[in-house]
Amino acid sequence: MTGTTDLVVNGERVTVRADARTSLARVLREQLRCTSVKLACERGECGACTVLVGGVPRMACVTPARLVGREVVTAEGLGEEARDLQEAFADHGAFQCGFCTAGQLVHAVAVLRGPVPGGAELEPYVRRRLSGNICRCTGYNGLVDAVCAVAEARA
Amino acid sequence: MSIGERARPIDWWLRSLGLVDYTADLSEPAHLHAAVLRSPHPYALIASIDTGRAERMPGVRAVITHADFPPGALYQHRGGPLSDRPPLAGDVVRNVGQEVAAVAADTREQAEAACRAIRVRYRPRRAPLTIAEARAPGARELHRRTTGLRNVSVRWAADWGDVPAGQAAAAHTVTGAFVYPSVSHAVMEPNTTLAAWDAERELLELWTSTQAPWFIVKEVAGLLGLSRDQVICREVAVGGGFGAKSKISEHEVLAAALARKSGRPVLLELSREEEFAANKPRHRFETRLRTSADADGRISLFEADIDVDNGAYNHMGSSVLRVGVITLGSMYRPDGVRFDARLVDTATQAGGQFRGYGTPQVSLAVESQVDELAERLGVDPIELRLRNLGAEWSTTLCGYEVTTNRLGPCLEAVRDGLDWDARRRERPAGHGLGAAVGMHGSGAYAYEFANRSDAAIDLFEDGSARVRFGGADAGTGQRTILAQVAAHELGVPLDRVEVLSMDGEHTPFELGAWSSRGTHMTGSSVGQAARELADRLRTLAADKLGEGRIELRDGQAVRGDSSVPLGDLVRLSPDSVDGVLSHETSYLLEGTEMLTPDRDTANLSPTYAFAAHGAEVHVDRRTGKVSVVDYVAAHDVGRAINPTMVEGQIAGGAAMGLGAALGEELVREGGRVVNAAYVNYALPRAADLPRIRPVIVEGDDPAGPYGAKSVGEMSIIPPGAAVVNAIYDAVGVRVRELPATPDKIIDELARQEGRVRKFRIWRRPDRWWIALVRWAYPRGLHHALHRWGVRFGPGVGPGPDAEPQPEELVVAAGAKEASAALTGDAVLVGGGTDVLTEARLRPARPARLVSVGDAPELRVLRRYADADGDANAGADAGADAGADAGAEADASELRVLRRYGDSDGDGGGFGLEIGAAVTLAELAEATERLAPAIAAAVASIASPQIRNAATVAGNLVQAKRCWFFRNGFPCYKRNGALSPCYAVLGDHRFQHAAAGAHRCQAVTPSDLATVLTAYDAEVEIVGPAGRTTVPLAEFYTGPGETVLGPADVVALIRVPAAALRRQGSFEKLALYSGDFATASAALTAAVDERGAWSDVRLVLGAVAPTPWRLTAVERAVEGTTPDLATLRRLVDAELDRHADPLPGNVWKLDAAAGLVEHAAEHLSTGKGAER
Ligand code: FES
Ligand code: FES
Repeated sequence: MTGTTDLVVNGERVTVRADARTSLARVLREQLRCTSVKLACERGECGACTVLVGGVPRMACVTPARLVGREVVTAEGLGEEARDLQEAFADHGAFQCGFCTAGQLVHAVAVLRGPVPGGAELEPYVRRRLSGNICRCTGYNGLVDAVCAVAEARA
Repeated sequence: MSIGERARPIDWWLRSLGLVDYTADLSEPAHLHAAVLRSPHPYALIASIDTGRAERMPGVRAVITHADFPPGALYQHRGGPLSDRPPLAGDVVRNVGQEVAAVAADTREQAEAACRAIRVRYRPRRAPLTIAEARAPGARELHRRTTGLRNVSVRWAADWGDVPAGQAAAAHTVTGAFVYPSVSHAVMEPNTTLAAWDAERELLELWTSTQAPWFIVKEVAGLLGLSRDQVICREVAVGGGFGAKSKISEHEVLAAALARKSGRPVLLELSREEEFAANKPRHRFETRLRTSADADGRISLFEADIDVDNGAYNHMGSSVLRVGVITLGSMYRPDGVRFDARLVDTATQAGGQFRGYGTPQVSLAVESQVDELAERLGVDPIELRLRNLGAEWSTTLCGYEVTTNRLGPCLEAVRDGLDWDARRRERPAGHGLGAAVGMHGSGAYAYEFANRSDAAIDLFEDGSARVRFGGADAGTGQRTILAQVAAHELGVPLDRVEVLSMDGEHTPFELGAWSSRGTHMTGSSVGQAARELADRLRTLAADKLGEGRIELRDGQAVRGDSSVPLGDLVRLSPDSVDGVLSHETSYLLEGTEMLTPDRDTANLSPTYAFAAHGAEVHVDRRTGKVSVVDYVAAHDVGRAINPTMVEGQIAGGAAMGLGAALGEELVREGGRVVNAAYVNYALPRAADLPRIRPVIVEGDDPAGPYGAKSVGEMSIIPPGAAVVNAIYDAVGVRVRELPATPDKIIDELARQEGRVRKFRIWRRPDRWWIALVRWAYPRGLHHALHRWGVRFGPGVGPGPDAEPQPEELVVAAGAKEASAALTGDAVLVGGGTDVLTEARLRPARPARLVSVGDAPELRVLRRYADADGDANAGADAGADAGADAGAEADASELRVLRRYGDSDGDGGGFGLEIGAAVTLAELAEATERLAPAIAAAVASIASPQIRNAATVAGNLVQAKRCWFFRNGFPCYKRNGALSPCYAVLGDHRFQHAAAGAHRCQAVTPSDLATVLTAYDAEVEIVGPAGRTTVPLAEFYTGPGETVLGPADVVALIRVPAAALRRQGSFEKLALYSGDFATASAALTAAVDERGAWSDVRLVLGAVAPTPWRLTAVERAVEGTTPDLATLRRLVDAELDRHADPLPGNVWKLDAAAGLVEHAAEHLSTGKGAER
């Protein structure tokens, strides 16, 4: 690799090697050992590599590392904010194999930072918002239940 | 926590953070990376393989071919004459994707480049690609088989029970032909192996994504000429199996062979494309079934003729066929069953083992016909099933000795759960209810030792315990369930129990998790080990506490008031070694039998699970789209050891079954998978499914551990038939070939209603040439072009000499600068979402990227004073928004926009200016109130994550999404004039043009293009010649092709004030949420107080090569309030006047017209919808 770029990842400033077309996901996994960022398609179609860039969920596998420009947060860096979601994930059967889960968790954290509708609107809203994250194991039941439960508990 | 409790997964904290290590996450041992060279031909003789160049390439450490394996090495699988597959192809390849060579190098990119440098001389030959072709006289025989039938690997034909009695009793008979297609597991973790060879100890270590390490050891040892104790699997997290990882694939032995040859550890990860196109999907079944019943509705006879598509090799086809056939003789109690089933070789990827194992395929036929009989008999379908239930404690025609059977209560649970009777009586139009049932074993006696499971438990001095078992948990929760079992028996808190799985050195013998045997077999062996250890602990405790009743609880042995911690007993035991008291045991299951070639019936499993599912669907008659709105899945699981996990298996399996029912299918063209990507494979996303309502019908099965039966496979069996039965109930369309995609519904509805479209091509001279070419395609033209293109075209991938180029990144501050940097091969990047995918698939180009994503001038999003607007207000708006807004000003601008949108009329004189690098998410937010139709269109694009990155201009100028073009087919657009368009003869039902197509049948994929055309948008372009403005309606020159020159950059999109004042709606038909449009319609019109429309724009997307304005309709409705019927008539007339569909996409015209009706209905509300 010929170039380098500076990133802020989970609060730490780091310099990483990256070509023009090196993805953020590869940098995170291979150079920073953030292996919560999973690669299931490497074409921006499944959500397993979801990270927050400037607080916004993005597919790290199709984000050029040198064009990131804002702070990156992976599941490793979610900290306390994710605790109730993690517990709800475990209690509602939101994951089975767990391969999609860090991506789901990161995305769910972002969803719950924003305003969420209540009542009957909540579940369809959560389903729409999480539709970029494929889960092949759970049929989404547990995931949606868990996110809805936390949304209601936090409201 | 113990049996029956909703315990959390034992590793929930780390697993929910993604911090358990899957194979590709391991950094230790440090390793090389591997890539596989695969056959591009469905069938070819291999004249030579030259690896010389590849071996000399940078970073390359080992290259292997068939010559690196012992001569005649074959995967064993079922063994004997059924073994037919070499680890790497020798003198012939029999399917696209078959492994020919593999390379290990320092980086994956180097390994891939070296693969491309291997020269293989193929001599392609014609070979059968479908069951029908394979069975046709004269078809090439792919293998020498012993059945005496052409390309039939296995034939199984027999009568069970009393067939003549069944015939005699028949008062009603239904017949039909059913197809369950080849579908992919699409496991989220791609198959991956890390292999390390210790030359000194001659020991191979494997970390591999498997459900059954023992099978891997057996096959790898066999293929490499090692003994089984020279191969050791280690524990690693496994990301989903569903059968895909329950037997060996190819990555295991290839990684192992590369590790041995290079002397270094090697990691081989399949890509997602390989996972779809080269792994072993569900076997396609073509089932012709006749079902008879007597006058009272008692099913008397099943007669079946079944062809199973084996693919090119016997992987698990023979047993999948058997288990599929057994469906006929297992669940109901007919007098007789007659079947003739064939496993047919085709030159396609071999089928494999997949959750349900043949049963979903045959169940589709059986359960559809039960409904057809119910209709004939005038009996409620659930009632008819209740009349035909098998008995408990009985032997079925296929030899199953059924223990408990709670299918009756399951059916009642569906009836109650869906409020079946009332909802079938009073259902709204387009709604329908359907049910189906199924049955599955709990671990088949399919192999030697499959009736045995060993397990061990260690107790430590600190009182904690560890379960050791040789199987693997790919996500079913088996590790947690076994910990619960051990905790229960030993009286140890669950959080004091850990589990070691998979490790061949440290765990006892166990065949693994397949055939739903996990809970039964290992639950039994771990339970037995724990009970035996508990007995030993009680004996030890008696020494200390005295004789009497001793209980183990809370980590103590308790007798009356006195107790001793279990850890102390470990210390006391003379058998403890290094502070660990271990106990190992072997559980042997009695009473089950193997299916052998000389017997047709067998009691394969100790217990059998049952389930009834019920679906409520809504069928949109206008578009053919089926949505499941409610789903109840009731399962007889015996006793649930962990109800949350049981419910998870039910919901997960049902969802997967619904995917197969509604959208999933591996599509092939010329033997090659066309849709080898999640974007092209319509598996359900969260918004595509209702909440699946699992119902656990508990019982207590004396044969199961703690009364439990299996559940993991059962749940995928009924959904197919439940859905097609519900569709029939809704609209009277009987779908016999899954998936039930909109085209099938629309085609059948059109047939029922007698609607025929006439295109009168003979009166349209501009289409004559196209018609002639299309006529010639199947008559040799396609074949000739394909051959020419492949031989003489420049090729689709990088050529063998192409190595990754040094790259350059230019970050442009504005449009002008970007334009200046666009020289040679340079490519413009907005969000980068498309560029990186292209880079991975076609690494040779480009060398220079020009980024405009952060260019302030392209990030503006503001109202501007339109010429026709109120100038004063315009000035205000300009001031508010900030004329020189940069990236940092986005947020405040968006707020301003929302304020404008809030109150009607405010800002009515302003247009909307959208910078090229504004993201889709930002555009959606800005237009939510201002132009909800635009926001609705944006919300239907891809995923939230992509919308957060992808830019407006990137969306508008994206290349066509034709799955042949995108997925590497050497098509005319990629490979030059000598190549064919693969869509003409290939599957063009969803993605291709039904009007106006020329040589390329693709469409412009951008939804934004469709909706913005209806808003009269203009595109401002900056290029070498300066600034120009082009109406969006004139921006596209072809499918995904624009007027842009090589150095032109889109700077701005303008939506005029007049358009924003109109009402708008956007409607889209897609196969799953976020998919590209199969068809879409955007409508804008000014609607006056009386409801009359003026200034109408009606645009169809994905129907013609470019967004298609229906100008005749626009003119005809101008100034009127069109009713839906009139509008539909006008639209149909214009479609018929201009359309020239391919045979498979005529239906899209109906769907598009249907979307216009939806759009008209929603015009007043401004809401749009994705359908
Ligand atoms: S791996 Fe990034 S979206 Fe699938
Ligand atoms: S938990 Fe396995 S893919 Fe989601």
